[in-house]
Order: sequence, then C-alpha cells, then structure tokens
Amino acid sequence: MMGDGLSSAWLAATPVAGAVVGLALWARPQVLKIWTLAAALAGFAVPCFMIGGTAGGSGTFWFLYMLPLAAVLSLLGQPAHPDNRAAWLWTLVLLGLGLGALTDGAGLRPMLLVLIIGLISGLLYWYRSVAGHLPWCGIGTYGLGVVSLLVALVAVPPVSTTAFLAACAILLPLTPLHGGYVAALRGLPGNLPGFLAVMLPVLGMHGLLTLLPHMSRDVWGAVSALALASALYGTLKALVQTRVRLLAAYTGLSFYAILWWYVAATRSAPPQTTVYLLAVGFVTSGFLLAWHAVQARYGDVDLCAMRGLASMMPRFSTLFFLLTLAAIGLPPFGVYAGFMGMLLTPSIPLSGALVVIIGAVLASCWYVLGLAQQLLFGRHRPDLRYRDLSSTETAALILIVALLTVLGVVPPRLLDAGAPDPRVQAMESSLWHR
Amino acid sequence: MGIEFGTTAWVLVPLLPLLTVVIVAVGPRESCERRARIGMLPIVAAFFGAVVILALVSVQGPVTVRWYESSAPANLALPVGFYFDRLSAVMMVLITGIATLVYRYSIGFMQQEHGYARFLALMMLTVFILLCMVSSANLVMLFVFWQLLTWQLYLLAHRYDHQPTLDGTFKKFMLLRTTDVVFLAGIVVAYVLYGTIEFQELALRAASTPVMLALWPGVIEISGTTMITLLIFIGAMGKSAQVPLCMWLPASLYAPTPVSALLHAGIINAGGFLLNRLAPLYGLSPTTLHIVFAIGMLTAILGASMMLVQNDIKQTLVFSTVGQMGYMIMECGLGAFALAIFHLMAHGLFKATAFLNVGHVIHKARQEMMLPHVSHGAEEFELPRLTWATGFLTTLLLPLVILLATHGVLAIPLLESQGVLIFLFFAWATSSQAILTLTRMRAVASWKVSLAMLGTLIFVVFVYLFAAESFTRFLYPNPDDVARYFQAAALPGRLFDVLVGGTVVVTVLSWAYLYARAHGRTGPMPAWVEELQRRLYVLCMNRLYLDMLHARFGRSVMRLAKEVDKRAFERLP
Repeated sequence: MMGDGLSSAWLAATPVAGAVVGLALWARPQVLKIWTLAAALAGFAVPCFMIGGTAGGSGTFWFLYMLPLAAVLSLLGQPAHPDNRAAWLWTLVLLGLGLGALTDGAGLRPMLLVLIIGLISGLLYWYRSVAGHLPWCGIGTYGLGVVSLLVALVAVPPVSTTAFLAACAILLPLTPLHGGYVAALRGLPGNLPGFLAVMLPVLGMHGLLTLLPHMSRDVWGAVSALALASALYGTLKALVQTRVRLLAAYTGLSFYAILWWYVAATRSAPPQTTVYLLAVGFVTSGFLLAWHAVQARYGDVDLCAMRGLASMMPRFSTLFFLLTLAAIGLPPFGVYAGFMGMLLTPSIPLSGALVVIIGAVLASCWYVLGLAQQLLFGRHRPDLRYRDLSSTETAALILIVALLTVLGVVPPRLLDAGAPDPRVQAMESSLWHR
Repeated sequence: MGIEFGTTAWVLVPLLPLLTVVIVAVGPRESCERRARIGMLPIVAAFFGAVVILALVSVQGPVTVRWYESSAPANLALPVGFYFDRLSAVMMVLITGIATLVYRYSIGFMQQEHGYARFLALMMLTVFILLCMVSSANLVMLFVFWQLLTWQLYLLAHRYDHQPTLDGTFKKFMLLRTTDVVFLAGIVVAYVLYGTIEFQELALRAASTPVMLALWPGVIEISGTTMITLLIFIGAMGKSAQVPLCMWLPASLYAPTPVSALLHAGIINAGGFLLNRLAPLYGLSPTTLHIVFAIGMLTAILGASMMLVQNDIKQTLVFSTVGQMGYMIMECGLGAFALAIFHLMAHGLFKATAFLNVGHVIHKARQEMMLPHVSHGAEEFELPRLTWATGFLTTLLLPLVILLATHGVLAIPLLESQGVLIFLFFAWATSSQAILTLTRMRAVASWKVSLAMLGTLIFVVFVYLFAAESFTRFLYPNPDDVARYFQAAALPGRLFDVLVGGTVVVTVLSWAYLYARAHGRTGPMPAWVEELQRRLYVLCMNRLYLDMLHARFGRSVMRLAKEVDKRAFERLP
C-alpha cells in the first residue's frame, strides 16, 4: 500500500495544486473558501481511489482519511473573511505535505517532514503578532526537529533511530520537546491550529510506529519516564491557563503523554491507540475551532472575561459541552473508548505509573470542566452583543462531535483488520537502521 | 450470543424512560405541559415491566442478553449486554417506582420553572442510566453508566446562573469523578489479573487462581482480589457518600426538591448495589470486608452525629442519608449483603417521601411565623420510672430473646456467625431511636408509653429478622454462599467481643443518662469531658472540616501549578 511513489506524489500534489490554483481566487474570499474546501475534499477522495480497495485498513490507512477530514472540518466553519485566506491556503499546502509524508515509504518522507516543520516555523515567525511575541521556544524546538531529521538521514543506528524519535516527540508532543506543538496551537491564525492539532500528532505517531521494533528497552524506559513527566507537566500547566488556546495545547500534551507512556510501557500500538490519538486530536481541534468562533466575535479575550454563554449562545454551548464530555473521557466518545481500550489490555504493567496516568485523566476533568463552566455558566455580560454559531460553524462542530462518537462506538479491530504488522512494515523500511 | 426474542424484549424496560425523554424534550414549548403528562406513560410502563421481570426471574432464574462475544468482546470499552436476575429486578422495581412518584410530583412542582422540559428530560435520562446500570451484564458496562450517572448529577443542578449551585456541582463532580477513576483502576487490575469483565466469571477465576501483588516487593504484599475489591469499594464509597467522600451530598443542597428525592432515594444506593453485585468477589476478601465494615461504621456514627447539629431541614435529611448509607455499607461489611438491599429499599422509600414533603414544610414555615413550634424546644423532658424500666429492659433483652426463640425457623446462619451482631446492633439502635421519640410525647400516661414501646420494639425486631431472612433467601438462594459471606466477614474474635460489649455498654449508658437527665440527676461532669463535647460539637457543626481540607488541597495544587508555570522554560523570552 505505502511506498508507491506515484500514489504518494498524487496524494501530496492534489491539495498543493489546489492551493496554487487558489491564489487565483485571492480577491474573492467566499469563492476561495469553497475552492479550498473542494481541494481538501479531493484530498479525502484521492486515497479512496488510489488505495481504498487494496487495504483492509490500519492506523496509517485511517490517518490518510483523517488528515483531509481534519482539513475539511477546520475550513468548514471559517467565516469568509479576507484575513483568513492565507491560513486556508497554508492548510492545503500542509495537508499535501502531510499526506505525502504518510504515504511515502522511505525516500522522501524525512524531507517532507523537514519541509512541514520548516514551514510551520516560518509561519510562526510570520504571524508572530498573533502570539503577541516571537515564539522562540517553538521555533527553536522545530529547528531541533529539522536537525534531528537530518541526523536521522545520515547517521547509523542507534543515533539515527534516536534522532528520529526526537523528531517524533516534537510532532507528537512529549516534554521537553513540546514547545513547537504549543506554539503552533497558540500562535498561528485562522483554522491552522485546528488542523495542526490533528496533523502534527498523526505524523508523530506514524513515525513512532516505524520505530517500535528498533528501540532498545533502555530507550523505552527513558521515554516512559519522560511521558510521566510530560503528563504531570501538561496537567499542571493546563490548570493555570487563562487562554483557551494554551489550555487546549497543554491538554493535548497531557493526553498524548498517556499515549507515549502506553507505547513505551507495552512496546506495542494496537488499534486502540489509533482511536485514542485521533479522538484526542479531534477534541483539541474542536476546542480550538469553537474558541475561534468566539474569538471572531469578541476578540482574543481572556477566559475570565467570558461567561454565561449557555443562555445567549445555546448552539455553541451545547456543542462545546459535548466536546467537554468527550475531553474528560466520558462514554460514548473516542477518548473514553481509546483510553479504556488501551488500559484493558493484558500487557499493561500494573505499576505506580498507572496512578500518574489515571491522575492525569482525573485532573483533565478539573481544568476542562472548569473551562466549560467558566465559559457557559454564570450570568451573561450585558455589555456584549451575543450571536450564536452560524450554520457552517455549527456543521463543523457537529461533524467533529459525530466523528468522536463514531470513534467511540466502532470496534477498534475495524481499524486494524488486515493491517500490516508495524514491525514488518518497519523491517521493510531501511531508512532508520542503515 | 444466542438471544431469544422474548428475553430480548426485556431490554425495553430500561429503555422506556428514554421514550419519556424524547416525548418531553421534542416539541413546541406550548405543548410542554401536555407532553410532560404523556411522558408519565412510559415510566409507569417501565414500573410494571420491572414488576413482571421480577416475577419472571423469581421463577425462571437469571437471563442474560448480550450483544458481544463474552470471551472476546469486539469493543471492550463498550460491551453492551444486560443481565436480569433477582437483584437487578428488585433494584429496577425500586428505581422505576420512585421515579414514577418523583416524576409525577415534578410535573406540578417544576411547572413554573424556566427549563421545565429540560429538567424533566434530564431526570428521566438519569432514570434510564440507573436502570441500565443495575441491569448491566458486565463490569465495564456498569462502569460506563456509573460514570454517566456522575455526569447526570452534575447536570441536574438546574440553576446555572447561581454561583453557589455551580460551586457545589463542580465539587460534587470532582469528588465523584475521583472515585470513578479509582473504580476504573479496579477494573483494569481485574482484567489484567483475570482476563475477564464478566461478573460471574471474574469471581470464579479469582476463587480458582489466587494471585498476590507486591505493592512493595518483599515488604508489602496484597492479594489480587483484595486489591480489586478495595479499589472498586472506593468507587462505591463515592456514590454512597461514605466518610470522607461524603461532602458532595451536602453540596447538592441547591438542587430542586425532586432531584434531592431521586438522589437520596435512588442514586445514592448505587454503592450498596455494586457491593451486592460483586458479593461473590467480596466474599473472597475478608480484609476488604473488614475495611468496608469500618468505613460503614465510621460513616454511620459521624453521619448521625453531624445530622444532630444541623439547623436546616434539608441538611438534616442529607446527613441522615449519610448515616443510613453508613449502616448499609456496614451491613455489607458484615456479610449481610441482602439486608443491605432491604435497608436501601426501606430508606429509599422513606427518604423520597421525606424530601418530597420538605418543600411543603419549608413553604409552610415561610407562611406561618409560628413554625417550627417554639413549644417543642422548651418542652420539659420527663421520664417516669416505669417507662424507663420498660425501655431499658426491652431494648436490651427483647431482641436477644426473640433471636434465640426464632433461630430454629431461620435459614440464615445468624447465630452460627457474627451476623448476630448486625441483628442486635440494628435492633438496639433502631428501637432506641423509636422509643426515644415516643418518650418525648407529653401528657401520656406511662403505662401507655410502655406498651407503645414494647410494641414498637417487637415490630422493629421482627421486621429486621424476617427482612433479613426473606431477602437473603430471595437474593442469595444458595445457603452455602450466604454462610461463606458471613464467614469471610467474621471479625477477629476479640474485636468482635469488644464490639458486642461496646454496643451493650453504649445502650446501657444511654438509658442511664436518659434516666438521670429526666430526673435532674446529672452528676458533675469532668472538665475535659465538657471540653471534648464542645470540640466534637464544633467538629460536627463544621462537617469534620472536610470542605476546608478539600479546598486547601485544591489551593495547594493550584499553587504548585502556578509555581511550575512561572518557572517553565517556554516562558523564557
């Protein structure tokens, strides 16, 4: 399935070509939005035609569908405003590069990853006014990512594998290499944070799958310790955030740390990890998109400045509440299903680490529910003119909630039927152990 | 999987409240009241359905309806299946019965409120969740609905623009969620050690293959069963408001009266149900049963003590529930699982009535300046010698006499086990309370009071005795199982003696104190006793400072988080 250069080129080229053509529509934001949506949908359709019939499914296989879907959902609710145009086109470019990195067997993948990371760094620099300051930490982390990927290309194991692991830890955030992820979600404009909240972790996880059989027990031990530290750090940071984007970013950090711990502790990545990864990605994306809708109305306000939306914006509140429900790990949503699925495996080690992991999940209830309570409840502010979600914004959030529900109820083995064993896949890939 | 159509239809009973949800929630605002009345039908139907299921399982035995392969569920996070046995059927009858009354009451009580339809829909959604929970076929499905119940309790707060309500519900959610994740840890340990989520299979495997876990290798070892049951018990402690996890219950004070009724009569019984559902597993772990007993006893004593110092009718009822839940858990800890079910049913019915009546009392008190009657407080307390002697002797001796006289016709091994302690304890405690209430009546000739006391006591003792007998026989038909639970719960001999002796001494001293006080013969009290009394009063008044500890813990975590945030490397320019 993977590694077919032509397929990979097609997958990467379709959205990128859409972005190039989109430049011609720059002056007409409404048309441009429709065009970018169509291009992202084409990115969704191409995998169906090219590889849909040849594989029963696997984590990677589903990633190919989820990336364009994330792009479509993030674009769908965007107001057709001139300020958002650049973000739409960059979304298509990143989508193309991401699909290419997912499908290319060995040759171009590291270069595509370098391009993605470099592009995000450039965007962070370009849009430094969004963050309010130059996100040095994020740009620095991405710089380290580029160096790691280049080292992985030229070095021999175990240096190459360790360097690639570091790159994965930048994409699928793991303390202390989470700066890039946090900066991307905090400092980029429009729908980009909502899209990158899914794309970056998916690329990181994809890389991690190829590394699974090659890392030594000691490295996994270290990763496991880092994951626990990451879960604690993400939790503590999330607890004190008053900016929703940062809160979403640290929530993601804390949740992905659980995934890192699981993979490191069991040295396996069953389909439940795919469910969990995608669910956390879409929950984070949902929060960012919902907050973007609030920002579009009231500006980049502090969390403490908003309250009482439940009575004034019922559609927004209902969907935000459902996202909250999903984020705190309640059934029937994907985060719950993925987390339970991971825990209910005989190989999970019964150790003190489990206490930290479960504690992180518990703490997420504290800050995520605190966020929802602050935003939605209490007396509304009479000085604000409230306007509920538009139909496209509502549709985007409804689709995210529906997707999270599907991820929660679908039997995980459907995501794995006929999947190539990641170990075999990795053995076939000679890139990381020359 | 083989499911017969007839038994599959039973699943409709837990699903019927969902129909009410749809009827009430969907439709124009103008027809809301009419839809609310139509919504009564499914819930009444659910009640009758539950009664039919109870009758059928009593005759046919348990029925399982599964939509998954029990040996290898396709989706382990959501294995949908139902298990109808006598326990679940009894619980379903109780839940639907109380839900019918509460729903009918709510139609009138909440009519003028904003969000009337949403409130009724949420309440019926809670009933649906409760019914699915008690009829779950496996541990994971039970946990799914257990968590959803926590969420529903958050939503049912109703007044989202009222800050104390929000604070209370947030605290409630966090406390219950804490116990939920510990419950989850118990399920994880159970699955890792025994590889199953099925109730019966889990108990069988735990019995056949004992596993030891090293908490501290070489130093502290604990049996796998004890670990699982303890973790799950912490989950039960949360829902059943056991000390020190009981503070969410007073925090729910601002919930509307029907919610309080449903909460205190139905939801709070979840802990007792969970312990009963897993009784075969708990029967394998004497250590856990002893801890359950200790926590239950502590909760019963502290709950009742805190109840005595409340000055608000709703709070008094809340702490009365805490005390009663303590009794119920204590019964489980002594191996009398079936008695706990009887207790939760009796308490549920009583508390639902009390809460539904509270609204009227408060309303009346606001209208009539003379309520509560001042004369009650200033009442002279008199206790004639005859009344006192009857009370003292009957309370202490009669339960024992009846127990000895009837043990030949009882199937449950009360005398052969320490179950006698439970029986005597509850008979003494309940009858003392009833008699004390009677003796407070003024201007009643003492022989009449004595007769009334005697009658009350005989009634209480016989009800307890035959409730224990009939419920045990009904819910646990195998006498060997019952004997095994009692045996597992047996306390060490000396401790048991101390407890029995202590209970007798407390009863005797209570009557002596009562008599002395009634005759103005209160002796000189040592200063330290008075000081202790004062401190205990303040402690109970402040609810053991548990709220403060909870808040302090929250502040400490936030302080740590702020410190970490301040020093975080990504904040550097």
